[in-house]
Amino acid sequence: MSETNKKWYSLNLNRSKKSESCGCGSNSGGCNSDKPKDGFDQIMDISMSRRTAFTKITAGLLIGAGAVSSSCSIIGSDESKEKSAMEWEEYFKGNYKLMTDEEKDKSINRLVRSYELNHGKKINISSKNAEENVLFGYAFNISKCQGYMDCVNACVEENNQDRTSEMQYIRIHEMKDGKGFNFEEADDNYYHEVPADGHFYMGTQCFHCDNPPCVEVCPVQATWKEKDGIVVIDYDWCIGCRYCMAACPYDGRRFNWKTPEVPEEEVNKNQHYLGNRLRKKGVMEKCTFCIQRSREGKNPACVEACPTGSRTFGNLLDPNSTIRWILDNKKVFRLKEDLGTEPKFWYYMD
Amino acid sequence: MTAKIKVITQFIVVCLFTISCKHSDEHKYHTVIDKIEANTVEYKGEISSDIYNETIKKVEVIDSDFKFLIPERKSQIVSYKCSECHSQPLEKLKEHKVGEKAAHWNIKLNHAGPETMNCTTCHNKNDFDHLQSLTNSSIDFNFSYKLCSQCHQKEFKDWKGGAHGKQLGGWAPPRLSNTCVNCHNPHNPKFEKRWPVRFNTTVEKERE
Repeated sequence: MSETNKKWYSLNLNRSKKSESCGCGSNSGGCNSDKPKDGFDQIMDISMSRRTAFTKITAGLLIGAGAVSSSCSIIGSDESKEKSAMEWEEYFKGNYKLMTDEEKDKSINRLVRSYELNHGKKINISSKNAEENVLFGYAFNISKCQGYMDCVNACVEENNQDRTSEMQYIRIHEMKDGKGFNFEEADDNYYHEVPADGHFYMGTQCFHCDNPPCVEVCPVQATWKEKDGIVVIDYDWCIGCRYCMAACPYDGRRFNWKTPEVPEEEVNKNQHYLGNRLRKKGVMEKCTFCIQRSREGKNPACVEACPTGSRTFGNLLDPNSTIRWILDNKKVFRLKEDLGTEPKFWYYMD
Repeated sequence: MTAKIKVITQFIVVCLFTISCKHSDEHKYHTVIDKIEANTVEYKGEISSDIYNETIKKVEVIDSDFKFLIPERKSQIVSYKCSECHSQPLEKLKEHKVGEKAAHWNIKLNHAGPETMNCTTCHNKNDFDHLQSLTNSSIDFNFSYKLCSQCHQKEFKDWKGGAHGKQLGGWAPPRLSNTCVNCHNPHNPKFEKRWPVRFNTTVEKERE
């Protein structure tokens, strides 16, 4: 199997040849190699050294042993056999960025089925790709935000965030008038009547940089920028090293210290593979501009929930969109512009 | 001989320049604004907001270069048409008889000051089914933004563009935006102070 159409990423330590991120040479969006291999073919059908082989075998041993014991057992139920077969295939699936549409569907079917087996409920997971001629951007009016935090509530519910650890993608910073953007002195966890006199409010979340440093540092390419500008994470490929969290200059990324828990009746069953599907312990997550909504034409949940109209979302490439009017007509700025990260999240004032 | 070497060196230098200055990837832009400008194209894709706004009755705003939808208003006003009660002149209605129900008793005007505004700044006392402008021309209840824009011109400009107010349904065209009175009570337009809907107790504990 050649170097160019492999389906996994490897660290390029001390190896002379620096290959492009994937066969098509694009560092955003998916790319379809000529001969896709599915399931464990991606892993198994390769030549490797004895040492790597042993590492892989050991890693797969536990899950393999479990699968074999339950699928060969006479007393094991059909359901548990099906479950372990699915776990086996899920374990050996490739990186989402390199999957063909067919492989994506297969993986999603397994995820939906395994949720059904575990919870007895049907969920809907989408794998909708980026639309042509769409680049998403966001604008935030700091004169209008009143600090009500309706956006935070909507985000938690929409994105199936863990309820007990209270991890939140959005932060609303209460800042003193006349002090500028002083994040050191700002309070992002206030509880009093708002808007408080002499203060203004601004929200931060993932800014979906066009030149994202978090993507640059990921050692396993589990995070990347999609063609419509959304920076996404493959939760099943993330190893939880948190390099991206350290690289982000905007505190946009969050780490799952525990398995997220959402009461069954509150689970948002309308999900996307790269969006709000239920994560696991030890992986990164963050705002995805509600990819499950935005790719269907809707506004992200925070935009919809905001009662003040501080939040605007839209297609930056469409000259008739409201976000374009804001960029063309208001005095807009972004945070830490000098870093060259090119966030697609603009602030403006009335 | 030296001339030959000179020519060759010059040739190499020129070659190096052309190679090094050539952008290897033509889809790389210096800034995201460059990228947006280079790829700007009117969105004509499949995705539409229509399905999310199906249930809302709409009217169209056409003002200079702007063309978008706003929710229809008259069907949302409970006791419209006003003339169903206001069948007599206002002076006559003011002679309040015992046992008759007083209407609009709960409306307190908290919008600018009494020197600037009273009921008849916007309501037409001769034609209750319409609003009126400062110059006494009639304005339909569905297009009440025309009334507001007489004073709030800056907000009006921002609203037409999309910097003020809120787009409903989704980002995809066609654009449906709230009109002024969908968010602001015209009799009391300021947003109230209130408590935030959420307090993160875990963060509070961690920072203690």
